[in-house]
Amino acid sequence: MANKIAAIDNISYMYPRSEDFVLDRISLDIYAGEFLGLIGPTGAGKTTLCLALNGIVPQFYGGRFYGNIQIAGMDTLHHPISKLARYVGEVFEDPETQLVATSVQNEIAFAMENLKFDREEILARIPEVLAAVRLEGTEQKHPAELSGGQKQRLAIAAALAVQPDLMVLDEPTSQLDPVGAEEVFSTVRELNRHLGKTIVMVSHAAEEMAEFVDRLAFLSHGELIACGTPEEIYSDIELLTKNDLRPPQVASTFYLINQKTNRKIADVPVQLDKGKDEIVKIAKMAEFDLSSPLPDPKKYSNVPLFSVKDLKHVYPDGTEALHGISLDICEGEYVLIIGQNGAGKSTLVKHFLHLLSPTSGTVTVAGKDLEKYTVGDLARRIGYIAQNPDYQIFNATVEEEISFALKNLEFPAEIVKERTEHSLESMGLTQFRDRHPLSLPKGDRARVVIAAILAMQPEIIIFDEPTTGQDYRGARYILELSRQLHEMGKTVIVITHHLYLMPGYAERAIVMGKGTILMDGPIRDVYHRTELLGSTFLTPPQAVLLSQELGNLNGREYPFLTPEELSERVILKNREV
Amino acid sequence: MAMLKFQTVGRDSFFTKLDFRPKLLMIVVISIIAFVWENPIMVGALAILIIVSCLLVGVRWSYIRTILLIMLPFYIILLLTHGFFNVDQVKTILGVKELKPMVVIPDNWWLIGGGTITWEGFFYGITIIFKTLCLTLIIPLGIFTTEVDNMIVGMVRSKIPYKIAFIFSSTLRFFPLLFQEIQNIIEAQRLRGLAMEKMGPVKRVRVYSKVAIPLILGAMVKSQQLEVVLQSKAFSGDSDRTYIHQSILHRLDWILIAVFLLFFIVSLVLYVGFGIGKFFSPV
Repeated sequence: MANKIAAIDNISYMYPRSEDFVLDRISLDIYAGEFLGLIGPTGAGKTTLCLALNGIVPQFYGGRFYGNIQIAGMDTLHHPISKLARYVGEVFEDPETQLVATSVQNEIAFAMENLKFDREEILARIPEVLAAVRLEGTEQKHPAELSGGQKQRLAIAAALAVQPDLMVLDEPTSQLDPVGAEEVFSTVRELNRHLGKTIVMVSHAAEEMAEFVDRLAFLSHGELIACGTPEEIYSDIELLTKNDLRPPQVASTFYLINQKTNRKIADVPVQLDKGKDEIVKIAKMAEFDLSSPLPDPKKYSNVPLFSVKDLKHVYPDGTEALHGISLDICEGEYVLIIGQNGAGKSTLVKHFLHLLSPTSGTVTVAGKDLEKYTVGDLARRIGYIAQNPDYQIFNATVEEEISFALKNLEFPAEIVKERTEHSLESMGLTQFRDRHPLSLPKGDRARVVIAAILAMQPEIIIFDEPTTGQDYRGARYILELSRQLHEMGKTVIVITHHLYLMPGYAERAIVMGKGTILMDGPIRDVYHRTELLGSTFLTPPQAVLLSQELGNLNGREYPFLTPEELSERVILKNREV
Repeated sequence: MAMLKFQTVGRDSFFTKLDFRPKLLMIVVISIIAFVWENPIMVGALAILIIVSCLLVGVRWSYIRTILLIMLPFYIILLLTHGFFNVDQVKTILGVKELKPMVVIPDNWWLIGGGTITWEGFFYGITIIFKTLCLTLIIPLGIFTTEVDNMIVGMVRSKIPYKIAFIFSSTLRFFPLLFQEIQNIIEAQRLRGLAMEKMGPVKRVRVYSKVAIPLILGAMVKSQQLEVVLQSKAFSGDSDRTYIHQSILHRLDWILIAVFLLFFIVSLVLYVGFGIGKFFSPV
């Protein structure tokens, strides 16, 4: 391989006031021109390792650090961060906090100014890096005027401008919608392939990582437990599962097929194209049984709980966010709403909550016009769980947090007590009742917010982007809670970009685009309208795409949604299974 | 989007083309002179000159009116307190034994009976009002006519530490985010049954105080993230760095610097040497 850019030699690290090593005897070399992926569950030490690469750990944080890291021949312990910043460019997760300047031009110039580049040099590099991330013409814009994907590309441009030897990107797509994530992945790929930039990138997006990276380093509990090509790492499903990591669906699918047939009838590819090649081989030796029924959505009464008729909404600045949409949501349904940012999802949900009023058209709940309710009145019927639980925590103890809404709604004291106890119990929070909610881990904080919503005994619960910023385990945990609520008879509405997570939970999917409803139907039908999803930049799960490839080969329709559904129905033609 | 940019004037003028340094000098000189002068006519003239200048360079009348409306209750209190009670100070300044009554309240009026508003106290109150107007409006005249980038470079060239200039620009960058977070938190509280529309002012204040918990904790998390980001961008707070925005003093800038320095010196000489600018009562 090419020259070594970074040599990580047996490093261990413990944060101040901590008793556990967050990095534990890690050794890893990074080579010029390679695209290295860092994967692992939350708490594995990925972010700490990224910060160690430019000396922020331990120089800024302190703590106990053992071993050494050489970047461009410099020991990160003995060279100031400001000098290391010349060689290592960092891009972080949150698009908001990492942009510090008041214009795009200033943002790119900021690090170069700090590193005392000549003014002429800075002015020459700004258009170059803006072109590299396709943000030409935005020099004078305020960062807040950019979309999420554009903000992350600006952060990449700012890191790129100092021409570092190594670019480190820590979950740059986790807060973005699919279009933004695609923009960032394609930008990083171009930088790597065409400009030869060395990239280290952390991401939970298994499908994209398998597609783009040359090598993966797999961290768990601070240890480097595996390092190899995406094929080597992502095909080891047992290792991934054991460490709460999600493999690409194409890998899961072929792994499960091999399990089902009790023999290795196929390789375990990790990229979709290779998966499609593999499915051709399988189609020759196996059939897929369609006689056993696939799970279908339950039938619900036709009496709508929410009814939206010709809803149009125009914001004060003249933007028409909804163009006369109509839909009904019935009691007990589990509905998924998908679409890009700007598709109108949030505007629609804000009408359900009466945070917005229709410009024209009507929204009714149980037959009554929402305009007749205040936001507070609706809180008794509709629970809303926002993406960030921390913005929904206002009280000093878990118990007070749960009773907060009940007191606001002026329930009698005995009902407040009874419902608070019930919510604490049903969400398993009784032992935390006197703890400050913000002292609990993120997953538990989400439970506190859900418990507080449940205490109001709403009929409808809306989850707004509940899986954004969560790893696979965290996302599953929240969706399992949503399933419990659905089983309790609640009507559940989920907005998410993570389509692969929703089969098995949602029964109906509504696709929104540019303020209209593009499709509304059973999730199975919607997920198989791949062209329509593609037109609004939504990517169906790989299991759906493989099923369609199989269908094209056999001239039949295979409406599978998950690797499990596809693999369970495989039957070898020689009937050995 | 209205919150995105710091309020800047909507049109170019010779003032917007100036470097920030003569404007900074203007702010300092006018503030000191407004503080020193006590002559109601001279301070009044200065205040009117500043208001007219603000309007000429494009500061919106709605902004000035808002400031006047916010300040109005304080101005009324100033007039009443100086008119009624500022007796000894005004006598000492003017070197007189008696003040001229403007309004005399009959003795038999409940609580305030027997009080007198004096002309001298009233004019002293007017002087203080003009002083505050000068101090309040000179800042938008200098700030709103300057792009943030030029302001920061101008501040650094004027030997203001870069750390302070950076704090100033970061405030402008992050204020809209903070404002958005406050909105999100209040929205989340309303969705938990808080009917703000049905609340009295005291209860509302209690509700707003609860916004502080998530807001402060969120701000602390963000500030630590920001520190890490700044470190990774080689930020040290040292003024010894390069700047893409230039701060060049042209002839007009030098002329204005000279004018303000001259104005400052002449005003002080006239004040100290000849008493011009000292308080007097027109009535």
